[in-house]
Amino acid sequence: MFPAEETVFEVSELNALARELLEGEFGSVAVTGEISNLRTYASGHVYFKLKDAAAQISAVCFQREARALDFEAEDGMQVVARGRVTLYDAQGQYQLVVREMVPAGRGELERAFRILKEKLQAEGLFDSARKRALPEYPRCVAVITSPTGAAIRDIFSTLQRRFPCVEVLFVPVQVQGDAAPAQIVRALDAVSAHADPDLVIVGRGGGSIEDLWAFNDEAVARAIHRCSHPVISAVGHESDFTIADFVADVRAATPTMAAEIAVPDRSELLRHVGTIEQALALRIRSQVESTRRRVTALLTSYALGQVRGRIERAMQRADHLSARLASGNRSRVRELSLHAQLLVRRMTGVGPRVERTRVRANELERRILRAGSTGARERSLVLGALEGRLAGLDPRAVLMRGYSVCADARSGRIIDSSAGALGARDLRITFHDGAVHAAVDGPAAEGGQA
Amino acid sequence: MSEKAPMTFEETMARLEQIVADLEGGKQTLEQSIKSFEEGIALGKQCREFLNQADLRVRQLLEAADGTFAEGDGPDDER
Repeated sequence: MFPAEETVFEVSELNALARELLEGEFGSVAVTGEISNLRTYASGHVYFKLKDAAAQISAVCFQREARALDFEAEDGMQVVARGRVTLYDAQGQYQLVVREMVPAGRGELERAFRILKEKLQAEGLFDSARKRALPEYPRCVAVITSPTGAAIRDIFSTLQRRFPCVEVLFVPVQVQGDAAPAQIVRALDAVSAHADPDLVIVGRGGGSIEDLWAFNDEAVARAIHRCSHPVISAVGHESDFTIADFVADVRAATPTMAAEIAVPDRSELLRHVGTIEQALALRIRSQVESTRRRVTALLTSYALGQVRGRIERAMQRADHLSARLASGNRSRVRELSLHAQLLVRRMTGVGPRVERTRVRANELERRILRAGSTGARERSLVLGALEGRLAGLDPRAVLMRGYSVCADARSGRIIDSSAGALGARDLRITFHDGAVHAAVDGPAAEGGQA
Repeated sequence: MSEKAPMTFEETMARLEQIVADLEGGKQTLEQSIKSFEEGIALGKQCREFLNQADLRVRQLLEAADGTFAEGDGPDDER
């Protein structure tokens, strides 16, 4: 039946030979077709058929390659698969071992992307010079994305965590499908016309290049470009850039990152405000202290001691004169004592200022206590201590020592010169135990200047 | 510092920084410094109140069938 010289193969041998023939002949090939009968095994390997109207071929995509696919392969989908033609010996079945696979049309998308990118780049839409800075503390953030995706949840929760005092103007749009680009364009234009937002976040969660395609649309790119507010693009997950990313003022890799870029962190700001409040307290304290030192220096100065001596001598002379002119010119005596008062006034002119400071410090302490923060309370202790020291400089203590304060009886203004006293005519002289009125008759003959 | 329009947070922060700079400049009288200090403490309190606001306010800009946009309340399922 068989010629004696004919070779008889074992099945294994034949299949092995056929496999070698197939692999040697085709090497790596690209095939386009429709996926059918797709099944994913527990191992992670994916088995399916590629078919066209007239024929089909078995295909397998092993777990490693299947995991690397950036889209969800499913029955009915047109794809381009690249791989090795081989033969599965155990079943004698000819098949394609898929190394890479993309949805059909991906090539066109990629080409369209490149062409549009070059075109817009040439027009200057990506120029860094035209990128606007984001406001430091936005009051209102417009968010253009899908109402149902993870993106909006991520953005809301990040804004809530970092800066809940911001207001959100949410514009729900489709971010996928044929209607998406036009909707996104209309939303961007509507937000542009709206007065509120300080910046705009436009984006969606990650996906395949097909899913993200609305953000590679020329009309969307131009709408971002003409938007009247700074725009943060927030498309996908880290790796892929879209045209929208190139046009936007700032590109965020994810919606969460967009929200982080959009607003400052409130806990940092609270710390900053605390630092400012501490600086305020420190400054006021050092100024009150230095004023206190100046007042103390004045009150204990050699000059004041000298003046006091002269005043005492002048008063003695007044006594002496009044005794001598027992019947005579009483107004003259009054002049002399008036003059003495003026001298004192000049040297203790700081008194009322000290008093005012003390009153302000008092008032300040009450306000701070009312403000109630613990930091403020600590500072009020500092001020309280200062207040105590200032009270030690109370001008009344000076009055107790025999000095008096001279003021215009009508205006109440402190008088610190004889010219002022002559101008006033009616004086109010304050002693430690009360005040009296006095009239000015004229300049004193032996007055001179103190 | 007129009290016409309420200051934005940005303006409040800028004013606070200015007050610190004024105080550090040391050119003010004690009286002016105390005024600045009080203003600073009040502004600091405003900032804290603003920052500690609890919840995000969300409004929606919705497209009508005729392509016009109108503002509505935030989404109902807001946390």
